[in-house]
Amino acid sequence: MEDASCCGAGVVQEDNPKLGDALNARTFSLAEEQGLDIVTICSTCQGVMRRAQIKCENDPDYRAELNEDLMEDTGRAYQGTVKVKHFYEMIVEDFGLDNLAGKVTRKLTGLNIAPYYGCYALRPHEFSDVKIPDRPTALEETIEAVGATVVTWPEMQKCCGFPILMANKHNSLHLAGNVVEGAKKQGAACIMTACPLCHLNLDSYQPEIEKTFAMDLNLPILHYPQMLALALGATPEELKLDTHIVQAGNLLENLSSS
Amino acid sequence: MKARFLISRFDLQLDTTPRLQEYSVDVPKGSTVLECLNIIKWTQDGTLTFRMSCRSAICGSCAMRLNGHAKLACKTQLSDVLIDGAVTVEPLGNFKVIKDLVVDMEPFWASLKRVKPWLKPDESVEYERERLQSIEGYKKIEDASTCILCASCYSDCNVLSVDERFLGPATLAKAQRFVYDSRDCDAEERLEYLGGANGVWDCTHCAECSTRCPTDAKPLERITELKAASMAHRIHGNNGARHVLAFRESIPGKYPGTGGGMINENYIPLRSVGIFNISGLLDLIPVGLRMFMRGKQPPMMPHYIKKFPEIRKMFSRFKEYLK
Amino acid sequence: MTHDVVIVGAGLAGLNAAIQLAGKVDVAIVTKVYPSRSHSGAAQGGVAAAVANLESDDTPELHMYDTIKGSDYLGDQDAIEIMVNEAPETVIEMERLGCVFSRDEEGRIAQRAFGGHSRKRSCYAADRTGHSLLHALFEQSMKHDANLTVYSEYFLLSLIYKEGVARGVVMMNILTGDIEVIRAKAVLFATGGYGRAFEITSNAFANTGDGIVAAYRQGIPLQDMECVQFHPTGLYGVGILVSEAARGEGGYLLNGKGERFMEKYAPSKMELAPRDIVSRSEQTEINEGRGINGENYVHIDLRHLGRETILERLPQIRQLGIDFLGIDCIEEPLPIQPTAHYSMGGIPVNHDCQVVVDQSGTPARGFFSAGECACVSVHGANRLGTNSLLEALVFGKRAGKAILKYVQSAEFEDVNENEEIANARKSLDDLLSSASTESANEIRTSLKETMMWKCGVFRDKEKLEQALETVLELSARYKNIRIADKGKVFNTELQEALELGNLLEFSEVIVRGALAREESRGAHFRTDFPKRDDEQWMKHTLAYKGPDGSLQFKYKPVIITRYQPEERKY
Repeated sequence: MEDASCCGAGVVQEDNPKLGDALNARTFSLAEEQGLDIVTICSTCQGVMRRAQIKCENDPDYRAELNEDLMEDTGRAYQGTVKVKHFYEMIVEDFGLDNLAGKVTRKLTGLNIAPYYGCYALRPHEFSDVKIPDRPTALEETIEAVGATVVTWPEMQKCCGFPILMANKHNSLHLAGNVVEGAKKQGAACIMTACPLCHLNLDSYQPEIEKTFAMDLNLPILHYPQMLALALGATPEELKLDTHIVQAGNLLENLSSS
Repeated sequence: MKARFLISRFDLQLDTTPRLQEYSVDVPKGSTVLECLNIIKWTQDGTLTFRMSCRSAICGSCAMRLNGHAKLACKTQLSDVLIDGAVTVEPLGNFKVIKDLVVDMEPFWASLKRVKPWLKPDESVEYERERLQSIEGYKKIEDASTCILCASCYSDCNVLSVDERFLGPATLAKAQRFVYDSRDCDAEERLEYLGGANGVWDCTHCAECSTRCPTDAKPLERITELKAASMAHRIHGNNGARHVLAFRESIPGKYPGTGGGMINENYIPLRSVGIFNISGLLDLIPVGLRMFMRGKQPPMMPHYIKKFPEIRKMFSRFKEYLK
Repeated sequence: MTHDVVIVGAGLAGLNAAIQLAGKVDVAIVTKVYPSRSHSGAAQGGVAAAVANLESDDTPELHMYDTIKGSDYLGDQDAIEIMVNEAPETVIEMERLGCVFSRDEEGRIAQRAFGGHSRKRSCYAADRTGHSLLHALFEQSMKHDANLTVYSEYFLLSLIYKEGVARGVVMMNILTGDIEVIRAKAVLFATGGYGRAFEITSNAFANTGDGIVAAYRQGIPLQDMECVQFHPTGLYGVGILVSEAARGEGGYLLNGKGERFMEKYAPSKMELAPRDIVSRSEQTEINEGRGINGENYVHIDLRHLGRETILERLPQIRQLGIDFLGIDCIEEPLPIQPTAHYSMGGIPVNHDCQVVVDQSGTPARGFFSAGECACVSVHGANRLGTNSLLEALVFGKRAGKAILKYVQSAEFEDVNENEEIANARKSLDDLLSSASTESANEIRTSLKETMMWKCGVFRDKEKLEQALETVLELSARYKNIRIADKGKVFNTELQEALELGNLLEFSEVIVRGALAREESRGAHFRTDFPKRDDEQWMKHTLAYKGPDGSLQFKYKPVIITRYQPEERKY
C-alpha cells in the first residue's frame, strides 16, 4: 500500500486519540479499496492498528463519526471489514508451517534461537488475537519449522524499553539489557524478535548497555523475516546482517553439520 | 479433581531465597484458587501464609502471581490456570517478600500518596447541595474509580522492575481520577508533577498493568489519558512530551523535511531531546555514529506518501478532535 | 505508644470518625487489614438518604417510618430519627469530599429503589457504592496523613478497661508478631459485623466480631445479638452477595417451577419486600421442595432487564456471576440462597456513640463504638438495604465529634503496660504451645454449619438447644487446638485461631439470645413462636459475661417516639 501513512505508533494516540484512530481508519479504507487485508512486520504497528480496528468494531457510532470526516478529507470511508495481521501470524496461520518447512533450503539446525514476543502482539489481551496470550506459541513453532532450537527465558514477553528511549534512556536500556542478558544466560546464539523497534533497541544500543550496566552481552538480534530468509537460502550479505551493530553475519557458522 | 500446587515458600527469618513446595489437593469442581489455598492451609499445612479478606474481588487483598502473572486468587477459577494439572503460585513481583505469598506493601502505599490522591475542589464556592457533575463527566472517572488497589499492576509493571522510583500504574490511574474529575481544580499542578521525573512519560506501555488489572481501572488507558491531558495543557518541557510533538510535526510535515505522511526517523530523536539541549544531543552521537559506520542509518529525507495532502487535512482537525 | 484517641477499624465508621479528629487531636487507627480492604467496600447497592433527587416528595420522615417498620419495631425511634435527619447532609458531604457517585440527567447524585423503602432513595455509585465511599474516605485519610497514625495489619487482642474507664488497647503487630499497647484517652471500636460464624455468608474473612468480643470480655454487655440478617441473594454455595440492587433494578425471584413466588408472600412489594421476609420466602420454597431441581437454591433472573441495563448498572454483579459460578446473568438466571449478611446486634451505645453498660444508659467513660459492631439501635430486628452505609457514616461522624469533645477534658488513665503485654503474651503462648491435636478447621466448620442450619433463617427451641450444646462442646475443644506455625512473623494461622475464639464466644451469645427470645421479629424467626409478641418482647436483649464466664441476660425497653407498632405488611 503505497499510500498508507504512519500508524501513529501509539504516540499520536497519546496526543490525540481520535486523530490516531482516524489515521488508521484511513489506511484501512485504502486496503478495503484494494480488497486486501493488512499485514505488517512490526508489532507496534500491528498493536496500534488492531486497537483502532477493534474500537471501530465495538463501537459502530465511533466508526461513523470517524468516517464522516474521513469522507470529507479523503473521499473514502472505512467499512469495518479489514483484518490486521502481523507477518508471523500470516506465516503460521495462512501460509502454514508445514508449507514453510517444505520450502526451507538451509535448515538452521543447531542454532539456538530465543524467540522474543515483547508486548504488543500479546497485550492488552483484549486486543490480542493470540488464543492464550500468556502462552503464545507462534514464534517457537516457526523456529522449529526452520530446524533451529528454541531457547526460552524469563524476559521473552517483557518490554524491550524502546518506547521510553527518548523519555528515560537509562530505564529503557536497562529493560533492553535485561532482555538480552536473560537470553544469553539461557544459551541463546541470538534473539529473534517480531518487532523492528525491539530490534533497534536490543541491537543498536548493546554497546552502550554493556558499558552502563556492566553486562557482557554481544548477542546478535534477528528480525523474524531475516530468520525466515536465512532458512530459505538468502545469504547474510543479501540480508545486510553486517549492518547490525552486533554482528549477525557469522550466525550461520554455528549451524551443526547434520 | 486432583491438582498440584507449586507454591513459593519463604520465611524472612529462616530462608535466604524462596523455594517451591508442592502440594497435591483434591479440589471440588468450580473452586477458586483462594478456596484451594485455604484447603491446603486448613487441612495440610497451617504454616502456608497469604493475605485474603472479602473473597469477592473487591478488597484487593489476595493478589498473587499464578503461573508468573498477577491475579486475584479469589477471582480466579483453578481450572483456568491449571497447566498439565498444576499451577505455580508466587508472591507479587516488584515487592520484597515477607513470608510465602505475603509481600511488603509499604512502597505501594507510599507511591500512592505522592500524587496527593484526594479531591482539591474550589473551596470558595458555597454549596448547599452536592456539586453537579454530568453523566459524561462521571464516565470520565468511572473506570479509574473501580481500582481496588490490589497492586497486581504494580507487581507486573516492567518499568518498576528496573526503577522503583516510577510512580507506577495504580498511582497514575488514581491520578487520572482527579485530573479528569470535573470537581477538581488542580489539574494543571497535578499534570506538572505527573509530567516530571518518574511520571507518565516513564511508562513504557508494555500493557502488563491493563492486562493484569482485575477491574475496569486499566492503568495503561488512564496513563494515556493523562498524557493527552498533559499535551492539551501544553506541558511540553520534557523529552516525553517533545517526542509526542515530534510526531505531531513529523507526520503532517509541519516543517520542510520533517516528514510526509511517514515520520522522519532522524527528526524524531533530535526534536525529542530538544534542539537546544546540547548535552542531550551529544548523548545521541555514539549510537548515531555506530549506526552510520555500519550503514544502518535511516535516509536523511523523509518518505513522502503520494496522497500526503490527505494527511495534512486530517491533522488540521487536531484541535477539533481534542474537544 | 500513646495517642489521644485510638480507633479500631478503618471502614466507613472508623475513617469518618478519624477525619473529624485529624489535626485536632492525636489520633491513631488500628486495622487488621489495610484501610481500603475494609468490608464497607463490599457494600454494593447504595446509601439511603432523602435527598429527593429522584422522587421530590421524599422526606426524612418517610425514611424514618420505613426504617422503623423495617426494623419490626425493635429499632429505637429517637436514634432512627437522628440518622434519617442527618442522612441528606451526610451523603452530600461525601460527594463534596470527592466520592464518585453515579449521576442523574441533571448532574445530581443518582438514586434508585431498594427493598423496604417507600421512595427511591438509594444514592449509588453503580453497584460499588461502598467501595466508592470507602475510597473517598481513605483518600481523605491520606490527606490528613501527618495528623493520623494508621497501624495497618495490627490485630486487636483486648480492650484495656478498668473501673468503668477505657484506657487503650492491646494488639498484635501481625508483621512482627510483637504485642504492643496503645494508651489513649478515648477508644472507638468500629470493627464491623460478625457474619463469619455462619456457613453461608456474604461477609469477609475479616468479619469475626473482634471488637464485640473484646468489649464483652471486659464485662460490657452485647445488645440484640440474636438479630442476624440473612440476605436473600447470596450466590449459591459461596454466599457472595448479589446486591439488592439486582432486585431494585427489577430482577425476578423464581422457584423451581419458574414462578415469581414472592406473589404469595408480599404481593404488593414482591421482590422488594424487606430482606428478612424475602429470605424466609426463599427458604420456605426450598424447604417445601420448590428449589431449582429440588435443590437448596432458587433463581434470580435478570435477563429481561436487557444487556445494556445490566452492563451499566449492575456490572460488578455480572462479573461476580461469571467469576465465581461461570454464569453470565445476561444469558442465564443466577442460583442464589439466603446468606448471613448483617449483624444488627452489637455493643450498645447512646446517640453520641458512647458505649452504655446497663439498662439505664450509664456510659462507659472513654469508650465509643460505631458502625456495624455497635447497636444504637437503628436497625432493630431487621435492617433495610442501604441503611448500613448510612449508619456507618452518620454515627462514625457523630462518634468523631463526641470523642473530640470528650478528650478535651479527659486524662490518660493508668495502664500497667508490662502486665498487659505479659498477659497477652501468655495467652498466645498457651495457644501456640498446646500439645493437643484438635483441628481449628474442624471446629470452625462445625460451628459454621451449626449456626447456619440450627440458628439461621428458621429457628426453634429444639434446634437452638442442639446448637447451644454444639457451641459449648466446640468451645471446650477449642482450648486444645493445634497450631502448626510457631513463627512470629505474619502468623495468620495464629490469627485465625484467635478469630475462631471470637466466633465461638459470640456464637454462644447469639444462640442463647435466640433461645430466650420466644417470639418472631424481623430476622429472628422462631417457627415455634411465629408471631411477634410486643407485650413480652418489645425490648432489647443485653447479654453480660459474668466474672465466672457465665452468661446473664437483662433487657431494656425499646424507645418509641412517633410510631406505634403495627403489623408489617408489604
